[in-house]
Amino acid sequence: MNAFTRLVAVCFALAALLPLISNRYTLFIGDAMLVQIILAIGLNLLVGYAGLLAFMNGALFGVGAYALAVLHDGQHWPYWLALPVSGVVAMVIGVAIALPALRLSGLYLALATVAFAQFALWAFTHWDRVTGGPSGLKVTPTDFYPFPVSSETGQFYLSLLVAAAIFWLTRNLLRSRIGRAFVAIRESETAAEAMAIDVTRTKTLAYALAALYAGIAGGLFAPLLGLVVPESFDLFQVVFQFAMVVVGGMGSLAGSVLGAALMVWLQEGLRAFKDLQEIAFGGLILLTVLFLPGGVAGLLRARFGWREPLHRPTQRHQPHASA
Amino acid sequence: MSGLTTGGIYAMVALGLVVVYRSTGHINFAHGELYMIGGFLAYSFITQLNIPYVAALPLAVAATFALGAATDRLIFRRLEHSHETTLVLATVGLSFMLKGISRFFWGGRGEYLTIPPIVDPAPIFVFGIPVLAQQLVVLVAAIVIMFACLLFFRLTIAGKMMQAVAENPLAAYLTGIRVEQVRTWTWGAGAAIAGAAGVLIAPLSLLTPDMGFSLLIKAFAATVLGGLGSVAGAIVGGFCVGLIESLAGGYVSSSLQDVSAFIIIMIVLIARPTGLFGAFRLRRA
Repeated sequence: MNAFTRLVAVCFALAALLPLISNRYTLFIGDAMLVQIILAIGLNLLVGYAGLLAFMNGALFGVGAYALAVLHDGQHWPYWLALPVSGVVAMVIGVAIALPALRLSGLYLALATVAFAQFALWAFTHWDRVTGGPSGLKVTPTDFYPFPVSSETGQFYLSLLVAAAIFWLTRNLLRSRIGRAFVAIRESETAAEAMAIDVTRTKTLAYALAALYAGIAGGLFAPLLGLVVPESFDLFQVVFQFAMVVVGGMGSLAGSVLGAALMVWLQEGLRAFKDLQEIAFGGLILLTVLFLPGGVAGLLRARFGWREPLHRPTQRHQPHASA
Repeated sequence: MSGLTTGGIYAMVALGLVVVYRSTGHINFAHGELYMIGGFLAYSFITQLNIPYVAALPLAVAATFALGAATDRLIFRRLEHSHETTLVLATVGLSFMLKGISRFFWGGRGEYLTIPPIVDPAPIFVFGIPVLAQQLVVLVAAIVIMFACLLFFRLTIAGKMMQAVAENPLAAYLTGIRVEQVRTWTWGAGAAIAGAAGVLIAPLSLLTPDMGFSLLIKAFAATVLGGLGSVAGAIVGGFCVGLIESLAGGYVSSSLQDVSAFIIIMIVLIARPTGLFGAFRLRRA
């Protein structure tokens, strides 16, 4: 167990104390941060590690939330069953959409998923019979009987547990040969293929994991808000989630945790200035990419030198460009 | 007919995308916002500064050209050595920034601005079909501009330089072409085409800061349908998307128009990933 793992473990342990000292608002923010951490980890796995650009994360986040609302409140499934199933629903839909594009170069995936993001938003708004149209669906708070906690506190601990588990699983996965295959594909698909990595399968796996995480995050998000509406999953989610990953640090799991917490905090700060949010998050992505390519995690790593498996994308060599 | 007109606009925006993609290898996700800004600039020039439409068109085009060239100088050139993903993420960030800034200047959510029509709004009859003169003007202008672009690439030295840089940057550099400068011009040219499309469509549609994104997706559908990287494919693809969309809207359901792009992209990727005109390269090594 190195310093880095210990630090993150301490953070998660400290977060477990939050319900003891917080009011409903800070608990809500804490829970929202945990949900976004799950999203950021999935997106970073895809964009930062596997180098695949996809825009569907916000939409699949919505698919997960809607699936939970339909299963939990519409079909009266118990929450413990509806949550994983909504994750799987998001994964299946996500993979079905991406499969034709995953065989081709990365740009096709970007184009197909950006169109899917728009399509999903349209479906959320227009498929009234299932999604409730623009007014959305209500989600009843989860009952955590027999645990002696209120539904808000229980929801927070559940999110914490899931976020910690996903962090731990992803970290171990990235240290395995699968994680190394992700990075190899990011650096060069041809070279990865030459090393007997099944490129399409590995890309699909990275994508499926990101979609699964997004669906689970959606399932955790729905009861947190108590309401599932299309606006929660609009285009702003795209820039918000990319900002978490980029500002936190591409190819750094700790960075995703940091980035998610920072961006949720910033969004709360900007709540009064809604028109500034697009400029702020778009600008943050630009500035980070230009001046702090490793993100916050890269900065901290240079300062304190913690060790984390696998690093951010390397510079590509182009001889002519030095002119 | 309206399908042809919107198709012309899609074709122009797709053409700008492909011009930049061929030369730099990157898809510009801020392209739709450049189109949107072109439209809003035309609005400002015409209704606020009382400049005639004919003069506002080149002014707005020049402004979007400058904006496109500036984004290359300030952002994309610095990222030339980074991973492809990083650069595309930068264009995504830029797109939302431009959208936010336009909202700031030209009005927030749910407000629409309109430009008075430039020609008599009464329909005229072509072969017995009622046609809005405005649509005809837009269609003709779009075709003229695209034709001029094609001639520019085929006939002028600057156009040939852009092609050389697209084909092989190192060889272009060795023959004395200033690769970076040509790239700046290319980003500018792509932006200018998008801006021109924005100015053309402005009198026919309502202006909103969100209009760029949905158009960008239509342009993506056009480029995928025509074959990513093919100039002729982008133009034909644009017209096809416009026609398919208006036919589907007329015969099946008008709500299909919003999602036509997604359906077209999915069908092309499953059935014929190289598109109608073959692909520039399917996989980037």
